[in-house]
Amino acid sequence: MGQRNSFTRDVLLLVASVVASQAHAQQAQQPGGNTIYIETKVTPIASGKWTGARLRDGQPDVQGFWSNTIANHSNWTDPQGGVPGDPNPRARAKGPREERAPSRVSDPPDGEVPFQPWARAKQQEFLANFHNPTRPEYVEPLARCAPAGVPKTFTWHGFEIRQYPQYALLMFDSGWRIIHLDGKPHLPDSIKLWNADSRGHWEGNTLVVDVTNNNAKARLGRTGEFFSDNVHIEERYVFDNNGQRFNYVATITDPTVFTRPWTATIPVRRYTEKDTPDGWHYEVTAANTTNGALLHEKYERICIENNGPFGQVAVTPTRK
Amino acid sequence: MRTMSARWATLLVLLLPLAHAMAKDRIPRLPSGKPDFSGIWQTTSAADFDLEPHSARKDAPPGPGIVAGNVIPYLPAALEQKQRNFEHGDVEDPRLKCWTLGTPRGIYYPEPFQVFQRDRDVTLVFQFGQSVRTIHTNGTLHPQATDNEFYLGDSRGHWEGDTLVVDVTDFNEETWLDRAGNFHSPQLHVVERWSLLDPDTLQYRATLEDPNVFSRPWDIEVILNRHREPNFQLIENYCFTLDFDQYYPVPKQ
Repeated sequence: MGQRNSFTRDVLLLVASVVASQAHAQQAQQPGGNTIYIETKVTPIASGKWTGARLRDGQPDVQGFWSNTIANHSNWTDPQGGVPGDPNPRARAKGPREERAPSRVSDPPDGEVPFQPWARAKQQEFLANFHNPTRPEYVEPLARCAPAGVPKTFTWHGFEIRQYPQYALLMFDSGWRIIHLDGKPHLPDSIKLWNADSRGHWEGNTLVVDVTNNNAKARLGRTGEFFSDNVHIEERYVFDNNGQRFNYVATITDPTVFTRPWTATIPVRRYTEKDTPDGWHYEVTAANTTNGALLHEKYERICIENNGPFGQVAVTPTRK
Repeated sequence: MRTMSARWATLLVLLLPLAHAMAKDRIPRLPSGKPDFSGIWQTTSAADFDLEPHSARKDAPPGPGIVAGNVIPYLPAALEQKQRNFEHGDVEDPRLKCWTLGTPRGIYYPEPFQVFQRDRDVTLVFQFGQSVRTIHTNGTLHPQATDNEFYLGDSRGHWEGDTLVVDVTDFNEETWLDRAGNFHSPQLHVVERWSLLDPDTLQYRATLEDPNVFSRPWDIEVILNRHREPNFQLIENYCFTLDFDQYYPVPKQ
C-alpha cells in the first residue's frame, strides 16, 4: 500500500486547507480540540530549561508523532496562499494576506528570502513553470518521491521522532534522518545527501543540530526557493515544556545564493490520542492491542508511486 | 610431551563451553535485561546473489548458500517462474529500481543497516532505499485489517530467552528474495529468530512459508557482523533518485 494514495490525499488536503484557511482564518484553534487542522499563528516558545520527562541517557523525552500546524510546502513565504498561478480557482488564495499564516521566513522581518538577484530570477523561473512543467527540472523532486530534504521535510506529512542513547531518529514520509548526538565529525565535504548530515546536542529544552553535506536538490517548496550545496543550516528545535509543541527554527547561511543569513520558523504540534488521524498530519493507525487500550502506530513509509500531476509529466524510465 | 599435550587438550575441551558461556554473558543488554541489538550490521555472505549454493557466475561470486538442505522447495509452477526471473534478473530485479528490498532480503543485502532499540520496538534503518522497518515488541498483534500489503511486511516480535522471535505477515509481491530471482507471493509468512552470538555477531535465522510458491516451510541462516570502524555511520542511499538526478543540478549564477 505504502503511499499510493497519498497524492490524492495531498490534493484534497491542499484544496481543503486553502478553503479552510479562507473560511476559518479568523477562527482560533479550539483548545483541547481534536484536530490541528490549520492554524494562522505561530505559538512562541522560549529557549530555556527543560522541566519535562527525560530518557535514561538524560535527553528530554520528545518521542512521538508530530506535524506542522500551518500548511504544506505549496508556498514557502505565504504558506496558506496556495501556489501562485494555480490554474485551479479553488486552490487560489482569497482575502487579505494578514488573515493567513505568516511567512516561514521569520528573519528578515519582511518575510522574504534574501536572494541575490540572479537567484531570485532562478526561483521565479521555477515557479513560472511549475503548473505546466515543460522540462524535467521544473518538476519538483518530491513529486518523484525524492526525499523532501532539510528543511522542507517539516512542511510535508506528519513525522515521528524516536530517541536512543546518542541518537535522535526522525522518520518522515519521504526518508529518514539520523541526528548523531555523540560528537562524531561530519561526513567528508565531498558527500552530498538529500537529507544532509546532522550533528546535534541538547541545550535545555532545545535540540541544536548542525546540518551540512546538503545536496541542495530538493527546493524548499513548490514556489521554487532553493539554496546551493554550500549551505550551512543550524537547526534549533525549541520544545515547550508541556510536551505538546515545538518550534523548528533554522538559520540558513549560504553566501552563494543569499545576501545574508536568514531564519525559517515552522510551528509543530504533537499528536495525542485525542486527535483524529487525518491521513496527512497524523498518518497513524490504531494498533491491535490485546487489552483494549488505544495506542497508535505508523505503518511503513515507502514512497515510490507518488507521481501525481505535479510529476507525472516526467515519469522516470525505470518506473512504468 | 604427549601427556602434556593431551592434558592441555583436555583443559581446552573443558574450557570451551565456559568461553562460549562467557561470550554470551558479555552481550550488551538494555536496562530491562533484554539483549541490545543496537548497532550497524552487515553480512559478509554472498546470500543476496543467490540464496542457494552456487558456483561463480558472471553476475555473482560463488557462495555456499544459506538455505537449510540447500534447495528451496518450490511448487512446480513457481519453479518455472523462478527460472524466468533468473533469466531476466539483469533487468527485472526490483533492486535495480532501488525499491525497498523487503523482508528478509534487506537483512542480507550487502549494505549496512542500523538497529535502534527500545523496550517497545526494534527499528531497522536500511542504508539502501528509504525503508525503515519497525518490529513491535510491545505485545501488539498484527493489524486486524487483512488487506494490508507492505514491502517489509508487518512485524510483531516477542522474546524467548535471549532470542527475539518475529512474526512477519501482510506482504506485497513487489520484492524478490535475491538476485537469482527467488521470489514469494503476498501469502509469504516469515518467522525470524534474532540472537547475539557475542557482542559483535548477530545470528539471523528465518523460516519462510508461502503456500502459493513453496511446497513446505524452509529455513535460512546468516551471520551479521557489527561495523566497528571509527565513526562509521549510514550514508543515505536513495538510489532511485539517480534516475532523475541529472535534471537537478544546483542552480548556478
